[in-house]
Amino acid sequence: MRALRKKKVEVPIVAVTGGKGGTGKTTVAVNLAAGLGAKGLKVMLVDTDVDGPCCATLLGVKLGAGDEVKTFKPMIDEMKCVGCRKCVEACHEHALIGLQGQTPRFFEELCSGCKACKLVCKHEAIMDGWKTIGTTYTADADGLKLVVGELRPTEPRSPVMARATVMKAIEELKGDGYDVAIFDTAPGVHNAVAQPLWVADLALAVTEPTPLGTHDLKLILDLARELELPVEVVLNKADVPGGLKDELLKICHERGIKLTAEIPLDEELLRSYIAGEPLVKKAPDSPAGKALMSLVLSIRDKLKGGEI
Amino acid sequence: MKEIVVASGKGGTGKTTVASSLAVYLAKKGVRVFTADADVDAPDLLLALGGGRTLFSIDIKESEKASIDKSKCTACGKCTEVCPFGAIVAQNGGQPIVVELMCEGCGVCKLVCPSGAIEVKRTDTGTISIQETKYGFGCVTGKLKLGEHNSGHLVASIRNIGRGKAQDAASDVCIVDAAPGIGCPVIASITGADYVIAVTEPTPAAKRNLERLSKVIKHFGVPAGVVINMGGYSKDFETALKDWIVHELGFQFLGEIPVDYEVVKALVHMKPIIEFNPDTKASKALAAIAQKVGEIL
Repeated sequence: MRALRKKKVEVPIVAVTGGKGGTGKTTVAVNLAAGLGAKGLKVMLVDTDVDGPCCATLLGVKLGAGDEVKTFKPMIDEMKCVGCRKCVEACHEHALIGLQGQTPRFFEELCSGCKACKLVCKHEAIMDGWKTIGTTYTADADGLKLVVGELRPTEPRSPVMARATVMKAIEELKGDGYDVAIFDTAPGVHNAVAQPLWVADLALAVTEPTPLGTHDLKLILDLARELELPVEVVLNKADVPGGLKDELLKICHERGIKLTAEIPLDEELLRSYIAGEPLVKKAPDSPAGKALMSLVLSIRDKLKGGEI
Repeated sequence: MKEIVVASGKGGTGKTTVASSLAVYLAKKGVRVFTADADVDAPDLLLALGGGRTLFSIDIKESEKASIDKSKCTACGKCTEVCPFGAIVAQNGGQPIVVELMCEGCGVCKLVCPSGAIEVKRTDTGTISIQETKYGFGCVTGKLKLGEHNSGHLVASIRNIGRGKAQDAASDVCIVDAAPGIGCPVIASITGADYVIAVTEPTPAAKRNLERLSKVIKHFGVPAGVVINMGGYSKDFETALKDWIVHELGFQFLGEIPVDYEVVKALVHMKPIIEFNPDTKASKALAAIAQKVGEIL
């Protein structure tokens, strides 16, 4: 699997993921990117959480005009259509429905854009139409290059949009001499999370010491194992009163996975989150700022040593 | 029977905490409750309810995956070119391999294969089970197979089974705990529901995602109310947020739950906070919210 995951660009990619929502993925991604940037590295930060992208908000960056991401949809020429139903049979999502001898009806919300209908039509009755499923944006944030993918609300196909965002980032990474790219992922372990993990060289799984955090951490560790992707754990809210830190340590130990950073509860982190300024810049000497800075240094050393 | 969906654009805002406490509160008030966990990617509702006894379990086979017959494959590379999901990969001109994690089963590869080497086969989507919780009500929960894309189908199945079972049990309400985000599984949870409780936090990031979720909720024409969770540390922001929820989004404001570490302890003890410590500030806020929801019902 690892050999198959060979990507089209040489720049090391670190994915920040974690299974459960709200554990601090974006906080870690933004601070890691800003921290590595502050250490003189040329960094790209990529927001692949297309359902709810927050990197720009956390950096206090306003996104300008973006590029619409369009997928194929069939445009049926009624004059050419003979009603053979070949396209209806080929459509895996049942987005085309019709009886023999009729021009099929098209249900756009079901279409995955796969083009199977066009491929099977022998009468050239299906032409390319396009639907916009989302937008990608690029921005510069204080020397940091930001690439963001955003699913259009009411569009269901997050994995396709996540893939388009990953592809856009890979294109942008060619040339320009980037030292590293940080990919922030969506919560969960579904296909839209697998897309950025597919191109990554290292994953950081951000979790919290609660039963839900540990439960979902195991799921993302399973996914990383499936992809043969090296993974390290970042424990956020590490000292939350009544938390389950011991259990997390046990999971890491059992699976031979490194607990690479522990971020304590820190009001400064909350303030930086609301202010839209990374903590490593706003208050690097606060308890959480120090923990994030040590993560930055650990990743920098790995990059220097060619380990990523 | 009314169906209430607990959703949030951003992850980790407290959907499961709200759903579990709401269910237990209403059940104790004599409302006949049923619950469903529609976050098939990271199903946590049953954990928050202290687990359950499995009454029924079924494997769902609704996914389709391409499969390549190596004896027929000529390594022409056509399938790798057309796959819209990047799910067929080949190394150095060798025979291609289907990465099941990313294959959506559209069958385009099969259509272009000149040697008939590709078949599309039905595979497991995940599992659905019905559980009896210690609070006397049932919970239908699902588990998506790793990296599966077909969560919308699984969510629809969970809702169907949940609705059926809830009606069998003459339930008054089915509380659905949705996945985070605004994509396929969330749309599958919201469409046709009676009410959405959107859980958010008083931060700019959560506000932005609430706005995105509100577009989906309005598109499907479902009435909604908003709960602000983890409140109390940024009064100005919270006041403006409440005003924005009511006047800009046009949603009901259901209440605010303050930051309270008892919530973490309750999670660790696998009990809804309202049950674990009814006197703590978060429980009081949740009780007021649950009462409001009860009135809406």
